[in-house]
Amino acid sequence: MISCGESTSNHLSTNTIDYSKNYPPNDGGTLIDAMTGEPSGLIAMIAGESAASAIASNIFNSLLKYDKNLDLTGELAQSWEVSKDQKTITFHLKPNLKWADNQPLTSDDVLFTWQKVTDEKTRTPYGSDFKLVTKAEAPDASTFRVTYAAPYAPALDTWAGLHILPKHLLKDQDINTTAFARNPVGSHYYKLDNWKNGQYLRLTRNVNASQGQAKIDSLLSRIIPDKAAQFLELSADNIDFMGLNPIQYARIFPARPELNKNIALYKELGNSYTYLGFNLKRKPFDDVRVRQAINYAINKQEIIDGVLLGLGEPVASPYKPGTRWSNPALKPYPYDPNKAKALLKAAGYEDHDGDGILDKDGKPFTFEILTNQNKEREMTGVLIQRRLKEIGIDANIRVLEWASFLGRFIKPKEFDVVVLGWSLSLDPDQYSIWHSSQQAPGQFNFISYNNPLVDKLLEAGRLELDPDKRMKIYHEFSKILLEDSPIVFLSAGYGLTAIHKRVRGISNPAPPAGIGHNTYEWYIPKNYARTEISEH
Amino acid sequence: MLIYLLKRFLWMIPLLIGISLISFFIMHLAPGDITTNEASFNPKASEESRQKLRELYSLDKPVIVQYGLWMKRMATLDFGTSFASHQRPVFWQTKDKDGNISLGMIQEALPITLLINVLSLILIIAVALPLGVVSALKQNQLADRGITLFVFIGFAIPGFWVALMLMYWTGVQHNWLPISGLESLGYEHMHWYAQITDKLKHLFLPVFISGITGLAGISLFVRNGMLEVLHQDYITTARAKGLHENRVVYGHALRNALLPLITIFGLSIPGLIGGSVIAESIFAIPGMGKLFYDAVLMRDFPVIMGILTIGAILTLIGNLLADIAYAWADPRVRRGVIQ
Repeated sequence: MISCGESTSNHLSTNTIDYSKNYPPNDGGTLIDAMTGEPSGLIAMIAGESAASAIASNIFNSLLKYDKNLDLTGELAQSWEVSKDQKTITFHLKPNLKWADNQPLTSDDVLFTWQKVTDEKTRTPYGSDFKLVTKAEAPDASTFRVTYAAPYAPALDTWAGLHILPKHLLKDQDINTTAFARNPVGSHYYKLDNWKNGQYLRLTRNVNASQGQAKIDSLLSRIIPDKAAQFLELSADNIDFMGLNPIQYARIFPARPELNKNIALYKELGNSYTYLGFNLKRKPFDDVRVRQAINYAINKQEIIDGVLLGLGEPVASPYKPGTRWSNPALKPYPYDPNKAKALLKAAGYEDHDGDGILDKDGKPFTFEILTNQNKEREMTGVLIQRRLKEIGIDANIRVLEWASFLGRFIKPKEFDVVVLGWSLSLDPDQYSIWHSSQQAPGQFNFISYNNPLVDKLLEAGRLELDPDKRMKIYHEFSKILLEDSPIVFLSAGYGLTAIHKRVRGISNPAPPAGIGHNTYEWYIPKNYARTEISEH
Repeated sequence: MLIYLLKRFLWMIPLLIGISLISFFIMHLAPGDITTNEASFNPKASEESRQKLRELYSLDKPVIVQYGLWMKRMATLDFGTSFASHQRPVFWQTKDKDGNISLGMIQEALPITLLINVLSLILIIAVALPLGVVSALKQNQLADRGITLFVFIGFAIPGFWVALMLMYWTGVQHNWLPISGLESLGYEHMHWYAQITDKLKHLFLPVFISGITGLAGISLFVRNGMLEVLHQDYITTARAKGLHENRVVYGHALRNALLPLITIFGLSIPGLIGGSVIAESIFAIPGMGKLFYDAVLMRDFPVIMGILTIGAILTLIGNLLADIAYAWADPRVRRGVIQ
């Protein structure tokens, strides 16, 4: 039963192949990757989870996209203009666009997609940005125009995130239940070839692709929920591509030279950062001196070294370092316990009773650090706890399951301090996180940050579509945010990827958009391709 | 007997309603719903949109009203559609107006889990029976001690660890077995016999792991049952009239010792549909355990209720079958000597 007479797996005798030779780009081959979750469907606005958008973004186009430096550029749109009053955006589509089923792709499809995402009956959480459009029209087949009631600068970013759907296939369908979600027709490099529930999705090249042809013939995404099992599959040369955790990257790979022979490692700054957020409605966190003191008391490099095994960077603003929006003049608070103590003393905290814990008005300075079940955040909490203890603050850690964390503590604002993460967003607009109007239960300014100056800048930033003027606004915003210290920026981890050396054409080091920015240029030299079982 | 069966059968209805009611309320006691999972904590998804989703799924109504809605659908045997998985039917396939068939989630996951569990049950019985008998016959001797130690190691050792070690050994170091998944790539293009070999290779480790961890219970049960029976008078009688030892052990003792096992197998019927989350995650098997676990994490209420209801029905049927089998196997029960 387990004899190996007729091996049907894809094993190559990997040890004998020398992957160091260079070959010019060629077409063909299959890239196999692994993902932990299965998409629920491939209409991203409905599905919502990352597995769905990862696959769907190979199948569908948006009007705009981010280039390798994370600047906006056209995807389906060849160009776009913003009117003088900044309220109207006109997109001009590229000529001769086609769907994978050979039907023409026109501005009518874009209009249809907008109607669907704003439709009350559509089960999407992403409709609100598009509901700001007061008028959308398609005056001719290659022009799409939207008008907003007031200038809305994040608009361009939203159009870079909306996958355009084919009207001719969906107009008579209920988008919430349609079989199209599991059998999609798009316009991007690949089309869905085969979806085996719970096992894999196979994409093949779309000959009508709107952005030219990708080099690799097919992408196969295997669903392997367990990271350790993924790693074994990678070691056995059954997958080419997987995301690693810091331990696999920094501990296992260096210890296993035979893996390094066939597999190349890449690191790039990830898309999120971890922070310590204060409940600004609670004393003493309403005092900026206390917040700054805690900021000085935390050693960020220690967190990066201890939790991320050195695979991360400190950040000083909610923007990705190296991109336009990140203010290069800002530096994180250095680790300075003496300054922290001095600030606390100025705020009235001293150890009057000699028990090692600071107190004020007879009450000891003690609070609870709350986080959800996430190993990295728990470890971060422990390191912070120790550093706070050194300056005389008694912090306890409490770890909760996500839904109760959100429902019982964040929504009713029943917390002192949280360790959580936000994304380093591509568009600089952070209105929903920092504006004082966004504090209702369920909204995202749950720390209750209220700074009229920041409010004003966030409002101005939403109204300004000129990138240079916008940049100044957000550099100023980041500066105030850092000084005011409503949260302590802790760290931004690297995205760590392992890719088999048979895959070529990968930019290393990665540009700000990450190594995945040019997957269509990746190729697999014929001599390195797997021996595949013949299809059809 | 017929009246007894009918009575038992009718009793199942209020029991089922009670079970579903309790499950439904316990499920809703857990904080959060489909709109509050971690992925949805995204500033691009506004609170108004989430509220709208809640209304579309009737999650804004009181729990008792939601239970009523669920019961109404269940009365027509409609298990509903999943919140999280693009409205896929929970239980059985449906066809839309264009003739596209969407397969039911349980319909897809159940056969896989059932296959693994039945195979491992067969493996367990095939190994545990002889082990139990040998232990009983050699009570407190080296063989007995060795077997007991072996099955307890199997029971105590963490399954996921053994699984990973075996995957590494048989899949990475040697190319004997596939590491994870259910089928090799290109399975569709294989001959039927190659398909069977491929399936068996993929199933070997999952079945082996679940078998090794399940040995202890059954083998100790057989051992203790045998020990009890071997001290009965009729065994002494059988020996006294000069029967061959094999006939005494297997013809007289074992048959009687197996009686309590019927109950255990009856109770393990609902277990057959429950997969192990850990094993299914490690081996990347899309079975019932993973389905249920993901549904709980996503607060996908229709899927949770679907699986719990089917589990409850099977438990009740399993109990019934066990009682019937007991009555069939043991004349004393049949004639009402013991109840």
